[in-house]
Amino acid sequence: MSVINSIFSSIWNFIKRISKNKAGFVGFIGLIIYFIVTFIMPSFVDFDDEPKLDEITGPIGSRIVLAVHVDDVDTYKTMEDLEGKTVGVVSQTGGPIFIEPYEDTVNVETFRWNSRRDGPGIQAGLIALANREIDAMLIFSKSVTEYIDNQEDPELRQLFEDNIAISNPTLGPPHLLGTDTQGRDIATHIVHGGRLLILTAVLGGVISTMIALVFGSLSALFGGVLDNVLTALTNLILAIPRFPLLVVLAGLISFDNTLFLGVLIGLLGWPALMRAIRAQVLSLRERDFVEAAQSLGLSTTHIMLREILPNMISFVAINLIFSITFAMYEQIGLVVLGLAPISDYTWGVMLYFGRTRGTLFNADGASMALAPVLAIALFQVCLVLFARALEEVFDPRLRSAV
Amino acid sequence: MSQPMNDDVVLRVDDLSIVYQTKRGNVQATTNISFDLKRGQAMALIGESGSGKTTVSLSLIRKLPKNALITQGQVLYQRDGNVRDVLKLSKRELREFRWKDCAMVFQGSQNAFNPVLKIRTQFEDTARAHGWTDKNAVRERALELLRLVRLDPERVYEAYPHELSGGMKQRTLLALGVLLNPQVVILDEPTTALDILTQRAIIDVLNEMQQRLNFSIIFISHDLSLAAEMADVVATVYAGEIVEIGPVNDMFYDPQHPYTHGLLTSVPKLDHEQDFVSSIAGAPPNLISPPSGCKFHPRCPYATDKCSEDDPTLTGEKPDHLAACWNKDALLEAREEIARKELAQ
Amino acid sequence: MVSQTPDVVAATGQANMLDRLYDSVLNIYRNHTFRVIIQAIITVWAVVTFTFFLVRLMPGNPIDVLIEQILVQEGISYQEAYDRVAASFDFDPDATALDQYFDWFGDVLRLDLGTSITSPGTRVVDEIARYLPWTLFAVGSGLLISFVLGIVLGMTMAYYRNSPLDHILSLFASFMTGVPNYIWGLLIIIILGIQLNWFNVGALRGTYDVNTTPGFNLPFIVSVLEHALLPIITYVVSTLGGWMLNMKSSTMSVLNDDYVNVAEARGLKDSRIITAYVGRNASLPLFTQLTISIGFVLGSGVVIEEIFVYWGLGHYLFASITTRDYTSMQGVFVILVITVVFANLIADLTYGFLDPRVRVSGQK
Repeated sequence: MSVINSIFSSIWNFIKRISKNKAGFVGFIGLIIYFIVTFIMPSFVDFDDEPKLDEITGPIGSRIVLAVHVDDVDTYKTMEDLEGKTVGVVSQTGGPIFIEPYEDTVNVETFRWNSRRDGPGIQAGLIALANREIDAMLIFSKSVTEYIDNQEDPELRQLFEDNIAISNPTLGPPHLLGTDTQGRDIATHIVHGGRLLILTAVLGGVISTMIALVFGSLSALFGGVLDNVLTALTNLILAIPRFPLLVVLAGLISFDNTLFLGVLIGLLGWPALMRAIRAQVLSLRERDFVEAAQSLGLSTTHIMLREILPNMISFVAINLIFSITFAMYEQIGLVVLGLAPISDYTWGVMLYFGRTRGTLFNADGASMALAPVLAIALFQVCLVLFARALEEVFDPRLRSAV
Repeated sequence: MSQPMNDDVVLRVDDLSIVYQTKRGNVQATTNISFDLKRGQAMALIGESGSGKTTVSLSLIRKLPKNALITQGQVLYQRDGNVRDVLKLSKRELREFRWKDCAMVFQGSQNAFNPVLKIRTQFEDTARAHGWTDKNAVRERALELLRLVRLDPERVYEAYPHELSGGMKQRTLLALGVLLNPQVVILDEPTTALDILTQRAIIDVLNEMQQRLNFSIIFISHDLSLAAEMADVVATVYAGEIVEIGPVNDMFYDPQHPYTHGLLTSVPKLDHEQDFVSSIAGAPPNLISPPSGCKFHPRCPYATDKCSEDDPTLTGEKPDHLAACWNKDALLEAREEIARKELAQ
Repeated sequence: MVSQTPDVVAATGQANMLDRLYDSVLNIYRNHTFRVIIQAIITVWAVVTFTFFLVRLMPGNPIDVLIEQILVQEGISYQEAYDRVAASFDFDPDATALDQYFDWFGDVLRLDLGTSITSPGTRVVDEIARYLPWTLFAVGSGLLISFVLGIVLGMTMAYYRNSPLDHILSLFASFMTGVPNYIWGLLIIIILGIQLNWFNVGALRGTYDVNTTPGFNLPFIVSVLEHALLPIITYVVSTLGGWMLNMKSSTMSVLNDDYVNVAEARGLKDSRIITAYVGRNASLPLFTQLTISIGFVLGSGVVIEEIFVYWGLGHYLFASITTRDYTSMQGVFVILVITVVFANLIADLTYGFLDPRVRVSGQK
């Protein structure tokens, strides 16, 4: 198949050219990783939506372990060993998802976690375990050790220390990025929280770029009144600070649809790029091949589509990437302020909760805010590095609008 | 050339060789260039583009590109009995030397002035950099020079560069060039990109200035009419070597090197450097691996086996007209043949 | 200019020609100024008009929403509710929409932006006057610092291009531009504030320590700087990379220009060449970008001030949005736009002084 071959060879050529620029190559690889994580991994990783230990912000690498009676340390190693036995879990709403596969074979006893002061589920559960009312408990490693270490009541402490041991410190998968304020795994949220955000940003960026491309080329090719009107409009919109405008619009119309927000951001985001594209078309129009086409009497549409557009593809592509970063900037900015929909659990919403729930100010729980912060920051950096590399690889003379 | 410098010699280039280090290999830009420039003399370097004439001129003020390497030779300036080798000056000495002893008016002087500073400021900058801080004195001198180059001095002095036309900028740069009373002024293609009338005016101005201020000129040009009109001495540069050097009349009426002859018989076009050597067949040699023997032999109509084996040195019957060629007689015969044909017509 | 007869011109000679040239140059320069000012006025007009339509005439506009709200909450007649809202928004309830529009326009020109809805009796313009200076202070000093630093670092990168220093600075610059400014703000809080504990972020709410007396005294000034420090760092870090990269490419192109080469041949001192020849020319394109930047950074202040709980205009805007204080919201937006337009105007006019070519051609 020669077509497929040529596609592959042009992709290969592209990769070879991009990899000459180290920073650009890093950005390119980064974007591929992001694509895998946000678009492919969600099919294999479930979104951890089960609130477990309220108010617990597990640190990076925390995991769920099996706490058992000291005598049973060698007996109960895995969940299979507990067939027919009673296992306690601490939860706000019921059985946590990690016990689901064993729900038919073990008896689950839930110790309700209401709030820190009233009826602490951990304490009730550990007492039940120490008194052999239940056979084992599924619990965060950090919670159990901290709870025992910080136990102020000497009797209780003695009871726990004498009777409870952790039989299998590697039962649950470690929480790579820790857990949030509801004990949910942050890593799964990162995996699931990128797709909508990126798609919305791409939507906004594509809309901006298309408008800029159409207006910019019309303005440059036809000139005259049309050019004056479009340029004046562009300058006008450019003078309005865009983010406050979005904030005010959010105050007037409440945005309840993420994609609608993306479209709106796209509709407002074209002016700077329009000016750059207009200048680009103007300069391309002066080149020999365009003048030759004009002297042949070819139509303006033909000249635009066949002669000018192919020569600006890389310029437009580079600026499309920058438009995407801007659209993302605005979208997340609104989410952080709480002015955009928070029903879809994106990185922006994680950030919003990380901030509003105060984990930002908790040295141990920083992961909840830090994870989305880094996810967003590194994604944007990858985009910028990639775009700048494209700039250098394709045509160093072309400067982007930003 | 190791004899002592006479008092009237202001510049001596002695056995100068320069290579450019490039990715594809070392380019031998100039090889064993030697010449003397006397006080008040005007010397023209002529040759095709890429022949190395600009490299020679840049080395005179040590302004070569970073990848250039001077492999041997000296560039000696003599002023008030002191002889200095420019190539050995310290950074600070070099800075002070530039423009005060030797000024260079570059090709494309359209952009030679800083667009955001007034001409006045740029004259004052130049003066102050060489320890001349009296602004009134600078102004007096500048106005006088601007008048000399036939400009409206008061207006030009207070103008910004963009307010001047191309010819005006060129003349202003000439005035700036002699502000510090240098001994040598290097002019790199002083008239390209100017219309004929302006070219004419520049030549007149240059002649007048040289008479009044008595400096020496080295100019680089492909415009032979300019060389004929201005130069006392002409040197032909080919493939980084001087192949012929002599007084202007000898060079034009009695060329001893086939390359010089080729340049003279080709029809010059006003500003297309390539076109003017159209009567010499072939292309300039590759200087990464130059031809053996005489570098001109692959293009030379009179070449013999000897030419591809041995490199000729500069020799001549007259002491001041030298050419590097094994077959001067063949050239002479050919020229006589042409002359007979013209007479017959 | 009065037209002169040919004899007069001939008689008056050179000096007069000089005068005339000067005059015409000045004339065109005035035109440039004139044009820039006209553009600014049109922009303000358009935005004020747009705001009017947004607030009064759009379906589901705040006035209808407020009237409905009052009707539901207090069970009074429609006319009463309408009058109450009209009083807050400061328009004549009996006038036609067109008259209201002209009224609104006149009010804006007199800086009368109505009274706050949530705290009746408070004039919006007074509130804005309280908050705006802090925003201008933080944004202004942030931009100034990053602009100057960016020019210096960008030139350094160009002079040492392809050296390890250049590569490192380029990478840093890409990071600084790539990461959104509010993300920088959060990173600064998390890293400098919480993990390293260099700043007590919680104590730095507001714009100054309430225990100090505002005025020209050391404790007050120190507390003002302390409170503004983190927002300023954020503005600097998030804009610096852009200046650096732009200055680098601009410097590299200027370094290839003939006049730099000639300046070296003229034996000028390096310091003079770097400042007056390379630096001055290379920074010119950055001044035009400054106009776009001012609007962007002022606008992004809304999030930054909210993150650092810095009580500037952005904080006020956000607060009025969360409390649905529409008159305040409208006022802040109008003032914000006017501030941006005004800042652009200043930058535009200053540019004319920096680049003599603009004074003649009227555009770059």
